[in-house]
Amino acid sequence: MADEGILVAHVQDIPDGEGIKIDADVLGTVDDVALFNHAGEIFALDDTCSHETASLSEGWVENGVVECPLHAGKFCLRDGSVQSMPTTVDVACHRVIVSGGDVRVVPNPARRAQ
Amino acid sequence: MAITQLPSTHEGERRMIPMGRIHRPRELAHDLDVSGLVDVENGLIDRAIFTDQRLYEQEMARVFASSWLFLGHVEQLQKPGDFFTTFMGEDPMIVTKDKSGRIRAFLNSCRHRGARVLRADYGQARAFTCTYHGWSYDLEGRLSSVPNEVGYENAAWNRDEWGLLEVAQLDTVLGLVFATWNPSAPSLDDQLGDMKWYLEAFLARDSEGTTVVGGITKWVLKGNWKLAAEQFATDWYHVNMSHASALMVLSPTGTGPKKEIAETAGRQYSDLHGNGTGFPVHPKSRFDAQPVHQHYDYDALRERLGEARVQGPLTTGHATIFPNFSYLPVNGSIRVWHPKGPDEMEVWAWTVLDKSMPEDVREAQRLYNLRTFGPSGIFEQDDGENWSEIQAISRGWRTNTLPLNYQMGIGSESSDGIHPGSTSALYSDAAGRRFYQRWAELMNTPAWHEED
Repeated sequence: MADEGILVAHVQDIPDGEGIKIDADVLGTVDDVALFNHAGEIFALDDTCSHETASLSEGWVENGVVECPLHAGKFCLRDGSVQSMPTTVDVACHRVIVSGGDVRVVPNPARRAQ
Repeated sequence: MAITQLPSTHEGERRMIPMGRIHRPRELAHDLDVSGLVDVENGLIDRAIFTDQRLYEQEMARVFASSWLFLGHVEQLQKPGDFFTTFMGEDPMIVTKDKSGRIRAFLNSCRHRGARVLRADYGQARAFTCTYHGWSYDLEGRLSSVPNEVGYENAAWNRDEWGLLEVAQLDTVLGLVFATWNPSAPSLDDQLGDMKWYLEAFLARDSEGTTVVGGITKWVLKGNWKLAAEQFATDWYHVNMSHASALMVLSPTGTGPKKEIAETAGRQYSDLHGNGTGFPVHPKSRFDAQPVHQHYDYDALRERLGEARVQGPLTTGHATIFPNFSYLPVNGSIRVWHPKGPDEMEVWAWTVLDKSMPEDVREAQRLYNLRTFGPSGIFEQDDGENWSEIQAISRGWRTNTLPLNYQMGIGSESSDGIHPGSTSALYSDAAGRRFYQRWAELMNTPAWHEED
């Protein structure tokens, strides 16, 4: 069952166009995870911006990217890849499974805490 | 909503400003004695107070740095992170709600190289980030992120000392937000004194309080800010002359209102804090916009505010809260005269509405205000023309050195037993004299920040 991920939220917990933060302890990851609702689709990225310390869950979600609330660096919601300066390093993404309104996250193996 | 005093109000809780060896030479600040420019006893004013750059700079450092200044209306901020930007004197300000829902006001200038950290007029923010190098501040004004912070490791670097500068005191009255840089300023209630009784006739008509039409109307005028502030404090005298055409257009005959309306007697309040307001007094005092007039239950207003307020300051009148906040009750117009050098001002104006007004009444009052006292309003145009006319010629040597007349109603200030505080006839320069008396008092007193 582990492959089916960890139940972390319900879709209605995440307003459209916004993000919430899931504590690293819940997922056993090295960083907190940000969940985003982009037009009804749910995405999961590492929460901490790769540029400076900021929570991407507080960022602005539009056009398939999240924009960091501090310095406006942008990351692709689908794969965490850098989409704009001033950031230069991708953030990790995590697999999301939505079923019956339940949101499950499968932590990225490279981001599991030891 | 009630605002208590901010942490920044209290001595010892204000954030330190690293000064190192920075110490501005005294010669950079002006200490001009203005007692020869304002003669309250004889009702004379020297025109240099409207034109001189040095006096203007002293005005910023003493009048604006010491006084309570208007920021906006509480309804402009609903949720944490909501913000609007404005000015205190010429200082750019951010007014926002922090995470606990408290209204805070910060200087909109990055502590690093000084650029604004917020460029928008209003909106929603999660942080205030300077677009120059990326110093970022949270909603409480703390410096929360500094790119390449490791570069400061050898400096006397304490991030806590580099937050956005916050006002010393912030308070609200009847939905209006005011703040001051002056940690020792007497309370906002003290500044208002008896003026609050008159202000309530405008903003306490409705038990639910007031709100504002979304957005602020802003326009630029040639003219010293005091010309406008003074007029709203003290000047009903100009109405029948300056606004002749507007009064004619609005009258049923097209030739102007009847004598008993056009020449209604009234009272003018003034105080030593520099506040002033004037209003005709009439047993059938009414709102001008028909749907607004029909909305109000005048008997209920009499019960709530008392006969004297319903017959007087409830409706037609003018008012200034020193130094640069003014309002017109009948239109729901509130405005601030932002100084932009001695020769120019920016007018920022809102329309205030009672919360219990239904939508059609709100719309009627909005349109009435816009058509009379909006930037192209038929009355506002007349006033702006006068102020710009005065400013345009005031640099002539002969023109500038001729004292102006503020003698009307001199010695007539008294207590009439009906209106609180000191009042005179409606046609009077009393509030103008006291406006400049207060101005001169502040100009001639070293401000709180000048103490060694």
